[in-house]
Amino acid sequence: MTNAFHLDGLEVPFQEGQTILQAALAAGRYIPHLCWHPDLGPHGSCRLCTVVISGRPFSSCTQPAMKGQAVACRTPELNGMRKAIMQMLFVEGNHHCPSCEKSGNCRLQATAYDLGMQDSHFPHQFPKRERDMSHPDVFLDRDRCIRCERCVRASRIYDGKDVFGVHGRGMHSTLAVNSPSGLLADSQIAPEDRSIQACPTGALMAKRVGFVVPIGERVYDREPISVLELRKYAAEEVHHG
Amino acid sequence: MKPAAAPSIQEILEPILLRYGGRPDLLLQILIAVQKKLSCVPPAAIAALAERLAIPLVRVQGVVSFYAFLSTEFQGDYAIYLSDNITDQMLGSRELAAHLCGKLGVSLGQVRADGRVSVRFTSCTGMCDQGPAGLINFRPVTRLTRDRMERIADLVNARVPMEDWPGELFQVETAMRRSDVVFRRPLKPGEGLRASLERGGEILSTWAEDLAPSDARKHHLERGGAETLKEIYKSGLRGRGGAGFKTGIKWQSVRGASDPERYVLCNADEGEPGTFKDRVLLTDYADMVFEGMTICGHAVGARKGILYVRQEYAYLEEHLEGVLARRREAGLLGENILDSALDFDIGIHFGAGAYICGMESAMIKSIEGRRGIPRQRWPLPVHHGYRRKPTVVNNVETFAAAAVISARGGEWYARNGTAESSGTKLFCVSGDCERPGIYEYPWGVTVREVLRDCGALEAQGVQVGGPSGTLINAGDFDREISFEDLSSVGTMMVFAKQRDLFDAVRNYAQFFRHESCGLCTSCRIGTTLLANYVEKFAKGYGSPVDLEEMQGIGQIMKTMSHCGLGQTASLHISDSIAKFPSIWAGRMRTTEFIPAFDLDGALAEARSLTGRTDADAHLPHPVPQEA
Repeated sequence: MTNAFHLDGLEVPFQEGQTILQAALAAGRYIPHLCWHPDLGPHGSCRLCTVVISGRPFSSCTQPAMKGQAVACRTPELNGMRKAIMQMLFVEGNHHCPSCEKSGNCRLQATAYDLGMQDSHFPHQFPKRERDMSHPDVFLDRDRCIRCERCVRASRIYDGKDVFGVHGRGMHSTLAVNSPSGLLADSQIAPEDRSIQACPTGALMAKRVGFVVPIGERVYDREPISVLELRKYAAEEVHHG
Repeated sequence: MKPAAAPSIQEILEPILLRYGGRPDLLLQILIAVQKKLSCVPPAAIAALAERLAIPLVRVQGVVSFYAFLSTEFQGDYAIYLSDNITDQMLGSRELAAHLCGKLGVSLGQVRADGRVSVRFTSCTGMCDQGPAGLINFRPVTRLTRDRMERIADLVNARVPMEDWPGELFQVETAMRRSDVVFRRPLKPGEGLRASLERGGEILSTWAEDLAPSDARKHHLERGGAETLKEIYKSGLRGRGGAGFKTGIKWQSVRGASDPERYVLCNADEGEPGTFKDRVLLTDYADMVFEGMTICGHAVGARKGILYVRQEYAYLEEHLEGVLARRREAGLLGENILDSALDFDIGIHFGAGAYICGMESAMIKSIEGRRGIPRQRWPLPVHHGYRRKPTVVNNVETFAAAAVISARGGEWYARNGTAESSGTKLFCVSGDCERPGIYEYPWGVTVREVLRDCGALEAQGVQVGGPSGTLINAGDFDREISFEDLSSVGTMMVFAKQRDLFDAVRNYAQFFRHESCGLCTSCRIGTTLLANYVEKFAKGYGSPVDLEEMQGIGQIMKTMSHCGLGQTASLHISDSIAKFPSIWAGRMRTTEFIPAFDLDGALAEARSLTGRTDADAHLPHPVPQEA
């Protein structure tokens, strides 16, 4: 007998050790997420993937799937809160999509569209965080950082470099660079690093490639992130056997 | 004579590293020692420590920048932190701070030009029954008055070394105002532990036929631990740190773990503003607390315990180490405790100013020398805690209760309190009352009874359980404090009729904004948005739409936040809107929406560039002024 739980009333099979999010994606059911990455594991910080089980909220990226559970996910209430979470992220930083190199390739932007976000709703905070343009091939715009720490994890796990960390706390927490000067130029980063690819926004990018693909022809310009993610995940599942 | 050269960073770090065995997991303890030595952790020290401890530089910097009492910039020879809880404010702390700054010739938050002194506000220092309070070079000062502030300023200006300051400035009171069945007859050292070990029964001669002597002793130990755990179950004891989880279940999970390496952690990071019971317990009943931890070690099969104490109580270090030393001498700690096979010892760790570290998983990270960010919910600390080993984390008061339960039995304990909340509870009463302090009551006592006993006859409201708890008005005074009704960590801040409760709400909103760890979206941004909305009301720009907005944000924080901090950080807003609507209504001068954006303020730069000061260079005020 296979293990299964119910996601919004529909059965989702799972393997022992899978989280709700992993099992859902494998079963072709999209749950919005930003800080989670299949190769980097859960972080539990963006909160977009929050689901409700027996009246209690859990982040589905960290919650192990359990047999027979009834998981509420795409309810109007939770979707509304997910949209509000996106709006919070937008007002916390400076996300000017029309002038951003990442537009169309940006998970933050694509997820916002996918959740039907049409305005930022909350008062903008207009942060003035330090930008790091010191490196010849990579730049860091902290005003676009959502503190998902995907770069922190990718640098440690895949690049073996520990280039990034987080400093401060609360709204004053910022992405920090591991180098004597605190600048990218003195760090071990290279433009091909996984940490750069892992960034879901335009915060961390390779220089001079921002407009190689014209706006309008980029990944999420063509189809919604929810559709694309599922196809990508299905392909990977097949690939991994 | 040539003046001695200032010691180099290396010379300063060496003895500290030696003391902590150069262990990277003790990074936080090492940083605290450096901060106390130099009144800062300079970048050179950070770089040296990163190298010596083989920790990435960015991570050492990350730890320094996380804790409020660590700083890369020099804080002055005298670093003064004034407690900024609402109870301090109600006793005039803000005016006193201004007075002190005036006498010292220093601006708040700045170091005086000669590097002598700095004055800052800090979150509640746990002296609410004897405020206004503060810390000077991490020593607590209490009952601050204008006169005391002047004396402090004189001592600083005359550069008198701290050890020569009059002791009365540092006097901390701990007397209990009311004691009930537990603290009326506190335990003698060893009483609970002896009972726990005796539950193993006689080491029967018949065992010797089957078991080697050392195994017989282990069997005896196992049996005693199991029996004590039964007593904990019978007592119905629930965690006193706020969440109220059944202690027996928690201990059983660790006892049943397959990994033999287990830990007992005691949470003395008493950061909830208005709470000070753990300070009193650690001062006057430290033996009971350590005994409870040792009994837990017996029951769950752990050999090592750690007491994690907030920096605000670090002045107790010598006293606590003294109690531990005495217990070791008396055979109550160490190897073969009371001649049994029980080995257990306790070490002390300190925090460095972070409310979030009261959250058990954040506390574990902090003990491991890292930023105090709460971990993912799974796996739980009982399976995967300190050093990824099965770990019991309990509050100071829970361990004290466990010691009593071991000594007097679970049934005896459960005779007190209510069905779901057995035993007694310590209450921390502060604010507008004649007799602030610690009160012991059986669970189920009504708010009204406590108010009567502490002499709060004119109360309009009480913040029960601290800012993360429940704000009630007089209509709720007959409610009971229990897990069934009004659950509480034991804190009651009382507000008399003449108080404007808006000041309390504003204080809490700023507190949560300051203490949010920044991990999750809803708490990091939500606490800031809420604090900004409260400021909007403070300025008179609030409108009914903003109240709805705040409640909406609060709901998102409650549902979506990662840990208890974010989940409770908006309750003071929703409670105050429901229970004290007038404090909000009185700050709305219109029912129309007024944008928080100050258009006229935004033109200030343009005015200064063009040198305009005339009335025509200003826009009309957006709020319709009353006639």
